Amino acid sequence: MKVQEIRELIKLIDESSIDEFKYESNGTKVKLKKRTVEAAAPVKEQVVVSEPVIQPQRMETSTAQTNDKPQVEQAAPVAEVKEQAPNYDQEVTSPMVGTFYRAPSPDSDPYVQVGDKVKNDSVVCIVEAMKLFNEIEAEVNGEIVEVLVEDGELVEYGQPLFRVKSK
Amino acid sequence: MESTRKKLITLLAEQQEQYVSGQKLSEELNISRAAIWKHMKGLEKDGYKIDAISRVGYRIVAFPDQMSLNTIQWGLNTSWLGQRMYYEPQLDSTQSLAHKLALEGAEHGTVVIADEQLKGRGRLHRKWDSQKGKGIWMSIILRPPLEPQRAPQLTLASAVAIIDMLASQVNVKGQIKWPNDIFIQNKKVAGILTEMQAEQDLIQYVIIGIGLNVNQTAEEIPEDLQEIATSLQIETEQTWVREGLIQNLLKEIESVYEEYVQNGFGSIKKRWELAAYKMGDWIKVKAMRKEWDAKLIGIQNDGALIVEDTDKARKVLYSAEIDWNKGGVDL
Repeated sequence: MKVQEIRELIKLIDESSIDEFKYESNGTKVKLKKRTVEAAAPVKEQVVVSEPVIQPQRMETSTAQTNDKPQVEQAAPVAEVKEQAPNYDQEVTSPMVGTFYRAPSPDSDPYVQVGDKVKNDSVVCIVEAMKLFNEIEAEVNGEIVEVLVEDGELVEYGQPLFRVKSK
Repeated sequence: MESTRKKLITLLAEQQEQYVSGQKLSEELNISRAAIWKHMKGLEKDGYKIDAISRVGYRIVAFPDQMSLNTIQWGLNTSWLGQRMYYEPQLDSTQSLAHKLALEGAEHGTVVIADEQLKGRGRLHRKWDSQKGKGIWMSIILRPPLEPQRAPQLTLASAVAIIDMLASQVNVKGQIKWPNDIFIQNKKVAGILTEMQAEQDLIQYVIIGIGLNVNQTAEEIPEDLQEIATSLQIETEQTWVREGLIQNLLKEIESVYEEYVQNGFGSIKKRWELAAYKMGDWIKVKAMRKEWDAKLIGIQNDGALIVEDTDKARKVLYSAEIDWNKGGVDL
């Protein structure tokens, strides 16, 4: 098995709901395990807070962002989650490091709200890096059940932005 | 049709002092003499002045001062960029038309140019003043084989192309204000707006929008922008033929793009830093609802800005509002 194939595999498993993966063939053994908190059941959503498998150089560079994140913001959504226990099976993640915007311009309405139906090609938000405004599409058909990031907040590569209940 | 007209102009322009016979044109272009006549009428509409003498031939007396697809493409020596081109005297926004064309499948390297934009825009739908005949209002459709997170580097690469064009054609030294503005002497002369359609790991297309102020006089710059904006005319005290600038700019962008796709951003980065605005100076950074003084150090290999705070701690910025005039004055 080539490194490239293993990388591909990690990526696929990372995006899937599989927690553990074993593969054996001709003396080659591959075992992959995700660091999840599935066991701690009720707040399943915490999975998302755990570090996604992301490019290491991106992590270092983002210290300014993580340090600056106010504590309150971290706590708030979790509390909300417990009450509502939203039912979701898909996440929209950020394809790059940048600033998250919910609306096309400061005085327009957000692209989507909780409860909105989205299609594959519905634009759900913008992630801006170096003044490049990337319109993010849902890439899933379903309903937005939660918005995970505040308008104007810095997001990481691979960070979940929305939770979606697919159809 | 368009390429025939381009060849026709080339044939006539090669022999500017002499008349070229209808017979010769008809043979060279492999079209009837009646068709040549039609093309001549078309060229006159574009603003060419053509002298026609029966039984002698045709001669171009004057080239148009009005921009047209022909005047832009004639003399364009790129191999792919702008070979497919849309020119309109008036558009709401070249960026909007480029998006529409890209969604309909327009090929890599397609260029959209307007003489005037009614709703020219910068980022966050901010207005970009684009008066008729005064500037270069252009959008380029690219389909780079890159992951979406690398796309912002195309903005920086395009900025380097603009700097090179300004140096070679206009003989002015532009500076790049990270990441997307071109300055001359502390005033903005051009802006780049890059927009993208992408899936998680694949770019569908990128549109590089460029607005470059060329022939505005100081009075023609809108009043609220006079302190912060300039044009090539204002800086050099002469007017410029936009076609020549566009042709050279497209050539520069094509070359920097090819270098970037082949070798990555590394070698372009050095050129970028050499042209960087306020390098080594103090600025004020606004990110995550905090403001702090920082010194501009350079950019990373991926184009992110490197700054140093007052404790000499280095930070890397992908996204920030920067106040370029108010950093650490009393340090």
